[in-house]
Amino acid sequence: MTAAEVGEGEEERERDAGPPTLAVVTSLVAAGIASLAALLAAPLGGALLAVATVGFVAGSVGRSYRALSWAAGIGLVGLVVAGYRGGGVESLLVGGVALAVAWDVADHGLSVGEQVGRDARTRRNVAVHAGTTLLAGGLSAGVVYGVYLAAAGSQPVAVLALLLFGAVVLASVLR
Amino acid sequence: MSGADASMVGDGTEESEQSEQSDENAERTDGEGDEHVDGEGEESSTTERRIRREIETGRWEGIRGVALALIGVGVVTRRPALVLLGAVGVGYALYVGIGEAPAATLNVSRTVSDGTPEPGDEVTVTVRAHNVGDAPLVDLRLVDGVPPGLEVIDGPARVATALRPGAAVAFEYAVRASRGEHEWEAATAITRNPSGSRERTTAVDPSDPARIVCTPELSAGGDLPLRGLTTRYHGRMPTNAGGSGVEFHATREYRRGDPLKRIDWNRRARTGELATVELREERAATVVLLIDARESAYAAPEPAAETAVEECVGAAGQAFRALLGGGDRVGIAALSPVDCWLAPGAGTAHAARGRETLATDPALAPTPSGEPFYRSLWFRRFRRRLPADAQVLFFTPLVDAAAASIARRIDAHGHLVTVLSPDITADGTPGERLVALERRERLRELRSAGIRAVEWGEESFPVAVARATSRWSR
Repeated sequence: MTAAEVGEGEEERERDAGPPTLAVVTSLVAAGIASLAALLAAPLGGALLAVATVGFVAGSVGRSYRALSWAAGIGLVGLVVAGYRGGGVESLLVGGVALAVAWDVADHGLSVGEQVGRDARTRRNVAVHAGTTLLAGGLSAGVVYGVYLAAAGSQPVAVLALLLFGAVVLASVLR
Repeated sequence: MSGADASMVGDGTEESEQSEQSDENAERTDGEGDEHVDGEGEESSTTERRIRREIETGRWEGIRGVALALIGVGVVTRRPALVLLGAVGVGYALYVGIGEAPAATLNVSRTVSDGTPEPGDEVTVTVRAHNVGDAPLVDLRLVDGVPPGLEVIDGPARVATALRPGAAVAFEYAVRASRGEHEWEAATAITRNPSGSRERTTAVDPSDPARIVCTPELSAGGDLPLRGLTTRYHGRMPTNAGGSGVEFHATREYRRGDPLKRIDWNRRARTGELATVELREERAATVVLLIDARESAYAAPEPAAETAVEECVGAAGQAFRALLGGGDRVGIAALSPVDCWLAPGAGTAHAARGRETLATDPALAPTPSGEPFYRSLWFRRFRRRLPADAQVLFFTPLVDAAAASIARRIDAHGHLVTVLSPDITADGTPGERLVALERRERLRELRSAGIRAVEWGEESFPVAVARATSRWSR
């Protein structure tokens, strides 16, 4: 990671490279919301997301990007299970955005911790990052939900899926 | 400034950034000290920026795959909720693609609370970074380029924040001043785009990097034992030559012209012969303090401890002052890739030059220079400069065989050598114990070769010298 280069400073010995507390707490809260939303949709999904929450905390404390990725994967499976069990659209969307924020903030916290450290001033940075991620998720969920409400019943699922496939291709081209 | 004050300043700034008039508030923050007024002026000066690297961080990797998989599962199982969840994933995939990592359009200024501190003083450093660009820096991590020889003792010299165009961030940290001349290096700014998928590392170098010069007072050392190689000038070194002095040396037959007060009248009364008392003549010596500052000498028993070079420079300072005070002529040289030579001399101006050399000479810097060291070249140059009647006090940790062999070579060329060696070995691991054993063996070999050696470890340098001196014959 980038911190390896930056972290060669003299103060490296004493620096606590753990993630900032705000990042850990935000991630925990977001994961909790995701668990609650999935629990409302289906108990099994909620249970899987609770496991993911534990994973996020463990990944933050143990400073492991891999643990965070695994936790996000488990959370995703939990959401799929909740959706398959017939969970409501609203709770699933809330759960999805909350899971994304939980993973993103935890991951961001790890990199900030590595490069800047736990004791430095990082609140603003973490808050802005969490805010933009929440905004991006909220916007896309809002648009998706609006389209869903407007087109519900009249459009078959397959057409919607094709549209989304087009959007994915667009996203790939943009990159 | 106390830690509580520092944190207060920090918080004040952070709050100020959240309000619209960041500049006004920043001034209020800076009201703490007068030197900040200069800092305000410097901010308009240029800050050099060099892009070090731009990378993809790999965050959100696979989000498109996840989105497609969710849509697929949703279609197959006929669950619209999953398709919509996949659509949110597509939204994130678009978000990840947006934006390059922004250029770190920062003007950085740095102020130190004291430019010429005493060793061990706490120096507070204030760094201000001002976003002078038109784009906001949503994710900025700033790492200050603290000089390698200084230790940060209060707060990391780092900050992570987000800066609107025109906004500024200020942070403070404290370093412990140590001997030498320290200049700050370029700060490192890491910027990311909002999603964190792209990252750019920039070196931000203020046109006026801060620097501190720390020149320690030379502490008074005890009497330093020198060996019997002296100049023809009078001084305080007792020699084996008879003449005028204070200590009895020998008696000899009276010769015409001997001063009356030196005639041994008791003997005259006893035997009727005239004899003259000879006193031990005292002369000045020329001494060159040679300090081992090769890369291998930058060793310490533990990571946080002082290096052997620091120990040697401290001891050399004591020796310098003691010898100069005793009337000897003292010079300074470094066994180092960087040239360092202060010719032996005496007097107040020379004392000041010596103090300056020991404090700030690049050859004796607190961190190694990293240049290659050629022993035979160095030795030839050293020999050319060394006055014929000079003796050498060689300060070295003796952690390698080269130091011992140099001591023997100098001794062989007729310059009497005294080796003064700080014990910086540890006894934790078998490797450390082996190094300690080898060092002891080297000391033993030097002593058996007729070279005086003093080592000091737990006890202070003057104590070790006093103890060793009592063993030595003149």
